[in-house]
Amino acid sequence: MTRPAADGHDAGVPAGPRPGAPEGEAGRPVRVRPPRPERRIAAAFALTAAAAVGFAAVYWTGGQTQLEGVLLAVAFAGLAFGLGAWSARLMPQGPFVEEHEPFGSSRRQRAAFAAEFEEDLQAISRRRFLGRALALAVGTLGAALLFPLRSLGPRPGRALYQTPWQGGAPAVTADGRPVRAADLAVGSVLTVFPRGHLEDGDAAALLVRVDPGALRPPAERAGWSPHGLVAHSKLCTHAGCPVGLYEQGSNLLFCPCHQSVFDLLDGARPISGPAARPLPQLPLEITPEGYVRASGDFEGPVGPGFWSRPS
Amino acid sequence: MPQPPTRQPRPGARAGRLRPLWLVAAAVAAGALVQLGAAGHAATVQPAQAGGRGQLLYQQNCATCHGQRGQGTERGPSLIGVGAASADFYLSTGRMPLTEEEPNPERTKPAFGQADIDALVAYVASLDGGPRIPAVAPAAGRLAEGEQLYQENCAACHSATGTGGALTSGQTAPSLAQATPVQVAEAIRVGPGAMPKFPPQALNDPQVDSVAAYVGHLQDSGDRGGYGLGRIGPVTEGLVAWVVGLGLLILIVRRLGKDVP
Amino acid sequence: MILRRGARWLDDRLGAASVARTSLAKVFPDHWSFMLGEIALYCFVTLVLTGVFLTFFFEPGTNDVVYHGAYAPLDGARVSAAYASSVRLSFDVRTGLLMRQVHHWAALLMLAALVVHVCRIFFTGAFRRPREVNWLVGVTLLALSLFNGFSGYSLPDDLLSGVGLRIAYSIALSVPVAGSWLAFLIFGGEFPADQIIHRLFVVHILLVPGLLVGLLTAHIGILVRQKHSQFPGPGRTEHNVVGSKLWPTYATRSVALFCAILAVLFALGGLVQINPIWLYGPFDPAQVSSPAQPDWYIGWVEGALRMYPPWEFRLFGRLVPNPFVPAVLVPAGTFGLLYLWPFLEQRLTRDRNAHQLLDRPRDHPVRCAAGAGTFAFYGLLLATASNDVIARLTRVPVAALTWAGRVILLVGPPVAAAATYVVVRALRDSGAEGVLQVSFAQLVAAVRATVRRRRPGRGARGRGRRRQPAMIAGGSEDR
Repeated sequence: MTRPAADGHDAGVPAGPRPGAPEGEAGRPVRVRPPRPERRIAAAFALTAAAAVGFAAVYWTGGQTQLEGVLLAVAFAGLAFGLGAWSARLMPQGPFVEEHEPFGSSRRQRAAFAAEFEEDLQAISRRRFLGRALALAVGTLGAALLFPLRSLGPRPGRALYQTPWQGGAPAVTADGRPVRAADLAVGSVLTVFPRGHLEDGDAAALLVRVDPGALRPPAERAGWSPHGLVAHSKLCTHAGCPVGLYEQGSNLLFCPCHQSVFDLLDGARPISGPAARPLPQLPLEITPEGYVRASGDFEGPVGPGFWSRPS
Repeated sequence: MPQPPTRQPRPGARAGRLRPLWLVAAAVAAGALVQLGAAGHAATVQPAQAGGRGQLLYQQNCATCHGQRGQGTERGPSLIGVGAASADFYLSTGRMPLTEEEPNPERTKPAFGQADIDALVAYVASLDGGPRIPAVAPAAGRLAEGEQLYQENCAACHSATGTGGALTSGQTAPSLAQATPVQVAEAIRVGPGAMPKFPPQALNDPQVDSVAAYVGHLQDSGDRGGYGLGRIGPVTEGLVAWVVGLGLLILIVRRLGKDVP
Repeated sequence: MILRRGARWLDDRLGAASVARTSLAKVFPDHWSFMLGEIALYCFVTLVLTGVFLTFFFEPGTNDVVYHGAYAPLDGARVSAAYASSVRLSFDVRTGLLMRQVHHWAALLMLAALVVHVCRIFFTGAFRRPREVNWLVGVTLLALSLFNGFSGYSLPDDLLSGVGLRIAYSIALSVPVAGSWLAFLIFGGEFPADQIIHRLFVVHILLVPGLLVGLLTAHIGILVRQKHSQFPGPGRTEHNVVGSKLWPTYATRSVALFCAILAVLFALGGLVQINPIWLYGPFDPAQVSSPAQPDWYIGWVEGALRMYPPWEFRLFGRLVPNPFVPAVLVPAGTFGLLYLWPFLEQRLTRDRNAHQLLDRPRDHPVRCAAGAGTFAFYGLLLATASNDVIARLTRVPVAALTWAGRVILLVGPPVAAAATYVVVRALRDSGAEGVLQVSFAQLVAAVRATVRRRRPGRGARGRGRRRQPAMIAGGSEDR
């Protein structure tokens, strides 16, 4: 039941100045708000209408994002002011009080509900065997209905372990042009793909020419970087972002997503940031005509880690 | 740039000692004219002259770090073979001369006027050649091709919006907001600082034109959606949402509701 | 006249008169902090309305199309249908860009309002019995809204959000045992699979909004059934609600708030650019832009990924990749803690009474400290997500910022919690008006009191027994 509060505020006129209202002479509080808020409210609504017409006009004459936004903002602001003032000045202010019973039903009601529910449940709960059979049926059906989820995608299989790169695959640029060794000077970088696989998500490799004397490859990869041309997977081993930033001079690869840094001269080993594994290297060879091609796939799975990834 | 006069010298007292020099100047000027073509912003290179203004400026401003003959010292690399493109890039972006020691200086107001820059560039170019100042024609570039090449090669460091980005060790790939087409082309060819270099076999001249055109578009196109917030991205957008958006709304809600319980 | 006949027509068929009377007379308290949830609600309504407009133009396909339109650098380019339709919305559809931007700003604002609303509920103890159910519903609403924001900004298939999807794929991959299956089934194959944009679209416009509407109805329904809680004050007891009547005052005030929210959103949507996808370019799995951040409400996960050290380990010979801890365990732990909090607090305080009256935050310094420490933790995670932007602006090396971030993350939240405890305790014990009125001496006294209680023999029991749940509020003398 709602009733006005005991201190008897009535609808309509607020019964006295707001707390903190300035005081006039002789200590009598001065009413700062205009005595007839209706005019202001009406003006606000008129502003809304004008702005709405303005928006319609702007739209009609071709539209302009900033004008449209400002005009609609003004229109809604007028409504907000008008309605806010209306509710604060011309509507019953209360405070009103609504009593309520404690949460939770009475003991008698609960007992009655429990009794009735138990009684109705007898039809099921007494038949234990049927109940179990039902549980078996629903459980099995529910599990079976989860099977169509398998249709959502292919099995991972070997997809994460291999890329389209293989022995003899020519390196091409993003527009399909074959890459020659002479295309890169020391300090140049290109993103390359195996020919015919420009769209594959795991195929991108960074091809960089560094000073051959500065490279420090491990023994088993000594021949992988002819003439200082070195290629590594572009996918960061942390979360898969393309490691697009190559710093000439320091020969560092910098991933912009989580700031992993890889040392290109040391097999793209991570030296900073959250990446824990080096960027897999692609073995390269140069054809007699001077074109760059791979002599095998990357030395390990590319990209971020996964459960069954070999070390 | 004032061309050296090409009128024939009057026979007489002056002609004897200076004639070979004038002939050299005329030949170089003719060659420079041929190079100009439709190159737009390509700067004319003053003919290198021993004892000329370029060398004087070099001795005054550059020799302490780069050596008396450009051979380099422990403070600065050798300039032999870096070419006009490199010198023009560093000088016109104000990166050189260095005001304080740092590995990768930022763009600032150039220390020299255009004439002095040209003189210095000519002098550096005379130190055993190197890449010339590229002839760029952004008007001949194709915006769509430029956008694609920019995304492939530039966006990772300079940001897709051209605002620049952080590199390791406090270095930055700078903002491209003030880069002229010539500077864009020079940087692509030279690979200044930590930036890799792209030889003509990697990005040919029409492609460079397109990239320069796209960079120009990034600079000139306004922000269609309103104030661009520096085109930094979700970081600034989130700040605005909290400070401006939620801030305003909390003020409004305090006005609509009551403050006392 | 028409209204009366219409009302009678309805009542003849639905018998709704008495229900309508009680409903319209319901009382809602007037405190402004109770309207924070409404901000989120009205942002949601705006999202639905602008979202409907967007769905009439957006094509959720990854198939290649050629964009032809007003944006010159992409004119003639082969891009995905999703990207092309988003650029078209921004350049070739009248008021398209305004609607897109209002939609995105509304998402950012909705989540900000949700966070502030959750904080209000938390710090005033509004989740205590009987409102635990509503708390659980609310946390679910938060999680769903977060997910819908992520799925929404990933729809245009631009370079920035596409890289975010790659990270999401890697996070799925990092789950032990089932990770690769999870990633392949969700995405429809190896990244970048063709299915994901379309699937996100279905989830974004149908599944999650449907759940949101249902849960919101439950949330508000429970609130109406249980009556809104209120701060202690004159005339307020554990068995009543004091405030304004729903009709006409509170309803009008609420609609005024909705209009104000729309005004702010349209102002932002028209005047401040957000997510300029035409500049980011279409997604390409071999490209990336720097800086790369998600929208702010995912920033805490991004910060965790950046700050977490390069630790990977092997379990039974198999790899547990690096992103698993910061991007799976931390969020799971976060929401687990959120869900469990009312029951945790009940256990810690041994307070199982029902509460209609709210705590003033100062009544419960431990809760304030826990909340402040947690807020500091997630706020710091969010801040560290922009370490590369800070590095570019200040030229401080990124690696140094990362190390500083790690240290601050470990040290900051406990310090924040301790400081909050002391200040709130001082506020409570001294009876000062506000934080600024607390004197230094009172702070020192609070520190002393805390330290004294830590001595052996006076453990947590003392804290529990001290709490007298307020039954009848008589005003401020009840402290």
